Amino acid sequence: MGIILYKEPKLEKPDMIACWPGIANIGVIAIDTLMGQLGAEELGEIEPWDFFYPRRVIIKAGVLEDLEFSRSKFYYKRLESKDLLLFIGEEQPTDGGRIYAEGIKAYQMANLVLDVAERFGCRRVYTSGAAVALTHHALKPRVWAVTSRDDLNKEVKGYDNTILMSEIEGTVDGGSITGLNGLLLGLAKKRGFEAICLMGEIPDYLSRAPFPYPRASKSVLEILASFLRIEIDYRALDEMAVQIDDIIDGIYEEFSSEIKERLDQRKSIMQAKPETITEEDEKWIKEHIDELFKKGGSADEQPS
Amino acid sequence: MNSPLKFSWQPELQRSSLVVGWSGDASKLGAKVTDYLNRKLGGQSFCEIEPVEFFPLGGVAIEDDLVQFPESKFFLCPRQNLVVFSGTPPSYQWYKFLNLILDTAEHYCHVQELHTIGGMVSLSAHTAPRELMGVSNSPGLKAALSHYKLAMGLDYETPPGQRPTLNSFLLWAAKRRNMPGVNLWVPIPFYLVPVDDPKAQRRVLEFLNQRFDLGIDFSDLDEEIEQQNQIIAEMRHSFPHVDESISMLESNLRPSEEESQRLVIETEKFFREKRD
Repeated sequence: MGIILYKEPKLEKPDMIACWPGIANIGVIAIDTLMGQLGAEELGEIEPWDFFYPRRVIIKAGVLEDLEFSRSKFYYKRLESKDLLLFIGEEQPTDGGRIYAEGIKAYQMANLVLDVAERFGCRRVYTSGAAVALTHHALKPRVWAVTSRDDLNKEVKGYDNTILMSEIEGTVDGGSITGLNGLLLGLAKKRGFEAICLMGEIPDYLSRAPFPYPRASKSVLEILASFLRIEIDYRALDEMAVQIDDIIDGIYEEFSSEIKERLDQRKSIMQAKPETITEEDEKWIKEHIDELFKKGGSADEQPS
Repeated sequence: MNSPLKFSWQPELQRSSLVVGWSGDASKLGAKVTDYLNRKLGGQSFCEIEPVEFFPLGGVAIEDDLVQFPESKFFLCPRQNLVVFSGTPPSYQWYKFLNLILDTAEHYCHVQELHTIGGMVSLSAHTAPRELMGVSNSPGLKAALSHYKLAMGLDYETPPGQRPTLNSFLLWAAKRRNMPGVNLWVPIPFYLVPVDDPKAQRRVLEFLNQRFDLGIDFSDLDEEIEQQNQIIAEMRHSFPHVDESISMLESNLRPSEEESQRLVIETEKFFREKRD
């Protein structure tokens, strides 16, 4: 079980941004877009076989040529303002059929990621994910933030469209961040890193959708760009958002008028105290959502 | 943590081969073949892998009114220098589990060659011959096996949405430590998946018998094949729709999904009644 580094560049106190797949892949898409724009270079990877069951075998003329696993890769980029380490995991290691990692494998992987951060002198670690919220898809997703220290909370509050988790209606007493995007945050704190998690809002009724939610990825990326003091071209995300909006609008039209009415109220009250859908509505959406999304025509893979 | 390997005794072997079969494949082919080898060759269990790290153990499964509990055991057939591993596929920590098999094989038994057994579901009739297919992890072993009746020209990539078999994972892990190995695959007619397929068992065993010069007399298995053929003939006679579906398969035609499902259910039911 280990780390393979392809090279060992000299980096000046880099920040690390790390992410694994989760709801609507909000964090992964944000970081993937960032990496593409920055032209980040490959740095290394975590050996996969201790963490994952293989996903593809390649046999040629009766000889097993290779076995492919989900990758967990590191990248880096030297920026004018700040050097950067990036990490994207294609899958969360689980002990069985769960989607989100937990237990010893999750702990081991999170520590390996932080080992690399430490090795390159990193002091701050960002993770990213989704915040399932009582919001509406017509509203710009906010970014919920959780950090490891009070002074970081103050810093985070200085950015537009960012809200601390404690300021969200119904989360005064706290909440939780499931899987490795949360666990890394906790372990980073334990190991003395500054840790910040940025979670893009996704409406509760879309949280099981088998397609990405690029509007939330964009919101996350905007905050990251502010932190890093860099310019980002959002055109690709905007184009993706237009396509997804069409699918969502089509599905939304199929909701009953009562549900739509309640959800539409969220737009006008600007999330100050949004209307919760009733248990009955929630049940209806859960029962019908897969069918509705299928009609929406997405080919995205459900995590399994 | 203590090693999950529990030895009851340690074999002394200078050179051996390993045969691996799992309980989870089509028609339980792997488990049936390894059981047969142990029975015929006097295989003695010398080591097992403790289940706690690899299985959920949140209860037990029941199959045919019998409690099922994960078992992962090594047997030694001393006269033939053959090591047999028979096990339940682990639920997690796959790589660690597979390496425990290979560690035991390599360090305690000096295994030179790995053979795994797997059944795969086929849209064929039970009357069709069972072709034995091989996938090796080394061109050298592939060449060495060329004079056996073994189809070894497969090109394959796992289709989207599916995962490789545990045997492929094991073969790859063996390759990483330069242990040559071959996965042996036999197509099992889909309606025999819930029951036994002694014909498929015989096909694999014939190969192993020849490869390791085991000197096995297969008359008991031949009798079993004959009995199964009689039961199926009786079933065909009793149920015209079953006969029709099997006849279609014999003519290389594909019955409808509904007919196929019915054939599976009727076959399982008929065999159960015959054996009760």
